Amino acid sequence: MTLGAGRVLLLLGLLLASPPARAGGMACDAPPDLLAANAALPATARAATGGSLRILVVGSASVLGPGTSGPSAAWPARLEALIRARVPQIRLEVVTRGARGLTTAETGAMIAAELAREPFNLVLWQAGTAEAVRGLDLDEMVEELNEGLGRIVAAGADAVLMDQQFSRFIRANANVDAYRDALRLTAAAHGVPVLRRWDLMQAWAEADIVDIERAGRHEKVAATDKLNDCLAQAMQALIRDGVAEARGRPGQR
Amino acid sequence: MRGLIRGMQPVAGKPVRDLRADVFRGIALWFILIDHIPGNWLGGLTLRNVALCDATEAFVLLAGYAAGLAYGAVLDRRGWAFAAAALLRRLGTLYVAHIFLFVVFTAQVGYSAAALESSAYLDEMHLDAFGEQPYLALLQALLLRFQPAFLDILPLYIALLLMLVPALPLLRRPLLLLGLSGLAYAGVRVLDINLPNWTGGGWFFNPLAWQLLFFTGALLGYVPRRRRPAPAVPFHPLLIGAAVAVLVLGLGIVLLGDYGEQWLAALPQPLADLLTTIDKTGLHPFRLLSVLALAYLVGHAVPRGAHWLRSRAATPFVLMGQHGLPVFCAGIFLAFLGRLALEMDDRWPMQLAVNLAGLASLVSIGVVGAWYRMRERGDSPQHATNPVPVGLRVPVESTTTVT
Repeated sequence: MTLGAGRVLLLLGLLLASPPARAGGMACDAPPDLLAANAALPATARAATGGSLRILVVGSASVLGPGTSGPSAAWPARLEALIRARVPQIRLEVVTRGARGLTTAETGAMIAAELAREPFNLVLWQAGTAEAVRGLDLDEMVEELNEGLGRIVAAGADAVLMDQQFSRFIRANANVDAYRDALRLTAAAHGVPVLRRWDLMQAWAEADIVDIERAGRHEKVAATDKLNDCLAQAMQALIRDGVAEARGRPGQR
Repeated sequence: MRGLIRGMQPVAGKPVRDLRADVFRGIALWFILIDHIPGNWLGGLTLRNVALCDATEAFVLLAGYAAGLAYGAVLDRRGWAFAAAALLRRLGTLYVAHIFLFVVFTAQVGYSAAALESSAYLDEMHLDAFGEQPYLALLQALLLRFQPAFLDILPLYIALLLMLVPALPLLRRPLLLLGLSGLAYAGVRVLDINLPNWTGGGWFFNPLAWQLLFFTGALLGYVPRRRRPAPAVPFHPLLIGAAVAVLVLGLGIVLLGDYGEQWLAALPQPLADLLTTIDKTGLHPFRLLSVLALAYLVGHAVPRGAHWLRSRAATPFVLMGQHGLPVFCAGIFLAFLGRLALEMDDRWPMQLAVNLAGLASLVSIGVVGAWYRMRERGDSPQHATNPVPVGLRVPVESTTTVT
């Protein structure tokens, strides 16, 4: 009798302990709704069909991959590698520009200068961190975004915005929510997809997938590398979704 | 606890204290605490989620109301010079409170940077203006030109009270005051004028724009001598309809922003631009209209003598509202602790602990404030509802009230 109960318990324990049969999700198991573009990327779709794609990445420090093991681990470089691996036949060029602490006005001017020099099909614009952290003018950020997004569209390119990185430290010490909302709404008003880095990183942190703030001193570089790789995967998924949307969405996602 | 409430029972010969202002100020103070702790789950249930205005607008309107009531009465009884002196005394208290909270903020940034080993953030993000230029930062803080995140309501309040000093006599000429105030608001919005902020841009809450809401509140609160308090804005079906329409429109805009952002792109560009540029800094007219509509509806929906205002459930909030200044300052301070706690752990046991401890602290500050005030005046709880005759009241009796 006791043996029977013990066996049942053992069986139960084994059942509970066995890992859930789950295939690895997309983009480091990111919540699928965060990978939806909710908008079309027609210029990117046309360029991809034509066999050549030029991407401009502009932002503050994070486009340079601070804290990673090297430049090739930064998310724009990882994104380039991921696209090459998926569609090796495409002629792909990724240009990355950025520096620490740049405001939206400064990155906006950078985009204008690059677009004046040579054409791009897709501009990935990471913005809003400097404003939120330094408590700069919210309206000014919105104006710069409006202007910049208009300029990108006028240059015949698609735009994707990337918002602030999730950090418990920033959340506790800066009024970041106001800036996140403003960025999200501005993008929506222009019909431009946003890679919601804050929500993605929070989801990854909560699911213990990657959490650089909680990583130990010795794991920090590895964690930052993983974060950049996950971000690149998420960005790739978002771009694919936007391209599928532009092509009338027959299947691929 | 209810015995501690001022104006609990009506007293002959004395206008009844409007407990509605107290209870709603208490609730606004609680919402301000909640909204000042990003990552707090209760933050999804406050006013800002259903209206195009939030606790800040309510707080400023009610602060104006309280200031109009208290300093308007002093003005009528003792003249402008005395009322101005009383206002300046109050300003001094607020200023010192702000500087204290600034010091606390600085300590918090340093502590949480060390706790999360995120000194890299401080460096990378220029968050640490204090660490980079401590002497200059201190000077700028004293000049109210350096306002770190979440420390922006108190400077606004200080600037508003300062503007009230010269404007006090105009309380007797409401149309003139409202006209000047409205003109200034329009001018400031059109010309994009704001007080300067050291780290760039202007104040997060532009006092030159927000003064319109504050003075509106002051005019609503001011009760001219020898006149019974009348409903400030009379009941009219058309006005009620307009107020409902404003709030419904506001709810629609808020919901669109929160849940239906993908539809924004389908709107004509000018309309989409309009909807995404409803700013809080310059108190966008939509936000101003929303809070005024809300106040109008609540003012007529809740009668002065509503039973629930004197109920057990409302008591904590009434006490918080009657001792608004200490409760407000403590709320800003508690928000620091709450943010640090959620920074460490933001799962539900901590969420519960932070919110329970936060509300309990605010209520106990209100209770202690009321108890102390009663003892200070040598009143027993039974006599507290029977205040000294109006003419002899100490004009600055409101030292424990946000006015």
